[in-house]
Amino acid sequence: MVREEVIKVVSNILNVPIEEVNEDSSPQTLAQWDSLQHMNLILALEEKFGIRFREDQIVDMLNVQLIILAVDELKNV
Amino acid sequence: MFNEYYQLNYSDLQESLRQQPKTGLSPLRLAVLRNVMVEPIEIYWKFLAKCSGFDTEIKFGQYDQIMAEAVGGAPELLNTKTDVVVVFCHLETFSQNLTRRFGALNKEQLKEECDRVDVFCHSVLSGIRRQTSAAILWHGFELPAYPAMGIMENATGGQQVETVRQLNDKIKGILCDIENAYYVDLDACRARVGVKGFYDQRYWHIGHAPYSREAYREIAYEDFKYIRALKSKNKKCLVLDCDNTLWGGIVGEDGLDKISLSKTNPGSAYYEFQQEILNLYDRGVILAVCSKNNEADVWEVFRSHPDMVLRQEHIAAAQINWDDKATNIRRIADELNIGTDSMVFVDDNEFELGLLRQSLPDVEVLSLAGRSPVEYRSMLAECGLFDALNMTEEDRKRGRMYKEEAQRKKSVELAVDIPTYLRSLGMVASVRLLDEFAVSRVSQLTQRTNQFNLTTRRYTEDDIRSFLKDEKAQAVTLELKDRFGDMGMVGACILRFQPDHAEIDTLLLSCRAFGRRAEEILLNRALQLARDRGAKHVKAQYSATVKNVIVRDFYEQHGFLITSQEAGNKKYELKVSDLGSTMPVEYLQIVTV
Repeated sequence: MVREEVIKVVSNILNVPIEEVNEDSSPQTLAQWDSLQHMNLILALEEKFGIRFREDQIVDMLNVQLIILAVDELKNV
Repeated sequence: MFNEYYQLNYSDLQESLRQQPKTGLSPLRLAVLRNVMVEPIEIYWKFLAKCSGFDTEIKFGQYDQIMAEAVGGAPELLNTKTDVVVVFCHLETFSQNLTRRFGALNKEQLKEECDRVDVFCHSVLSGIRRQTSAAILWHGFELPAYPAMGIMENATGGQQVETVRQLNDKIKGILCDIENAYYVDLDACRARVGVKGFYDQRYWHIGHAPYSREAYREIAYEDFKYIRALKSKNKKCLVLDCDNTLWGGIVGEDGLDKISLSKTNPGSAYYEFQQEILNLYDRGVILAVCSKNNEADVWEVFRSHPDMVLRQEHIAAAQINWDDKATNIRRIADELNIGTDSMVFVDDNEFELGLLRQSLPDVEVLSLAGRSPVEYRSMLAECGLFDALNMTEEDRKRGRMYKEEAQRKKSVELAVDIPTYLRSLGMVASVRLLDEFAVSRVSQLTQRTNQFNLTTRRYTEDDIRSFLKDEKAQAVTLELKDRFGDMGMVGACILRFQPDHAEIDTLLLSCRAFGRRAEEILLNRALQLARDRGAKHVKAQYSATVKNVIVRDFYEQHGFLITSQEAGNKKYELKVSDLGSTMPVEYLQIVTV
């Protein structure tokens, strides 16, 4: 659920086919995921889930798995 | 576009951009100079560009290299191909003391710091202008939302806000002196979003990106009011539904006295909406009515209702019948001789609007569906679809001119034959050599005239001004009036002179002046001027476009010989000795200056 939604957002924002996105996807595995796109990802995720990340979370969300965990944490507050 | 833009979220916009097919779009090259990260604005710009028929290429300059790039360090960024240069010179980044530590400055230091800002801005703007003639959009400095001195700022004449205001004023002065450069009011954008929602402090610290996405969305929308105006994509005609749009209720069912329209609540929402519409009329926007009603019922409201702000005289064209709205809007477009892509339609009925979106996708739709009438006025004020960058006297009168034209058309039915009819109009034409006062209007004509335009060359005001100074060129303008009213400048012709011949670079006529042989006046004057200059031949061209088929055989019809043809384009020549010099006889008076 959250996992699927996060992967959809990543695929959409980075313009990468959804099959190529998984928990391990990161700036190291996806060339499109640079610091600029990271910012766009954050904005899109916040809109999608109605949450707001803290600055330390933004910097630490360095792969899809960590993003899913952060989103889960904020949604369950 | 407007309705969707504020409702779609980031992902949706991205999705929408990917989906739309990329055909028939004109290129738009944006160069961005900045000392802050503003990349998230790109998607908003791209979306708005696509809505206006542009395929954008956006290049961001290096972070905080505004000066270096402005003075020539980035030719790939600023060059002859650039269309618009956007500058984000964030004051806080440029000067910490003016923004964050205002109290640290003594009088001398304050003056020094302000001078530093002035010199920088001046150098940047003149530098950009040297690299490119592209339009420049300069975002103003944000006024301190929380001045260092707090409420003492106003009470004891503190200086911080006033200082920034004066810096902005100086920049506005510089922009006035630089052709094609505009001040974009960032504070106005911030006021609409609200200071509290305008900034993203997380990203300010993480990546020097100060603004929130609501801010980018608003700024992009403001930027595009300028870009649309620059590219003549701003809208010219507002088409209005009547029931539940101009008044509450349905006049055919409720009757004149039961519809909701009043200076007091609840009809005041419609009253104020009409006042906003009249603002547009004052600016030169053409008003039209498209309503499913009995005509008599509608006009009765316009004539007799004491609280109607709009009157019949403000409406240039109307289709009030039971046909579908798409057909009616096409009729209005034909009657006014304008393209459907210059129209905005306002209606509260989603069903009608949905049909319209399918059959006339060119027409911009402003949907009032689901909105409360108290929101109508601000919706119209916010949409910014009609914004233009200047207003000539003619623009101010345009609403009236279109109305007069409609009256002229009606009187055609009474005429016996065309020449008699034309004579009955009492037309007076003035052909003048180009002067400084005409520059703006001539440039406008070259930008907007598509049908009666032999070569469709687009010229900026600077270009036209240069013709004034060029000995090898001459330009004439044509103004027209008749007993129904004054049409203002309706045509222009630009000649270029070579040692032994003249060439007609530009010959165009506004659609308002069709069917009166006005083009013959222009052509004759041009040929006279060529002869006076000693030219032996006059050369001319027809450059074929989708829109100017109407003049494909114009030169042949006036005695020119074809010298070459290729892919629909034609070149012509006329020997000066072959010139007759007959002006059309249907004119009451032709004044040549």
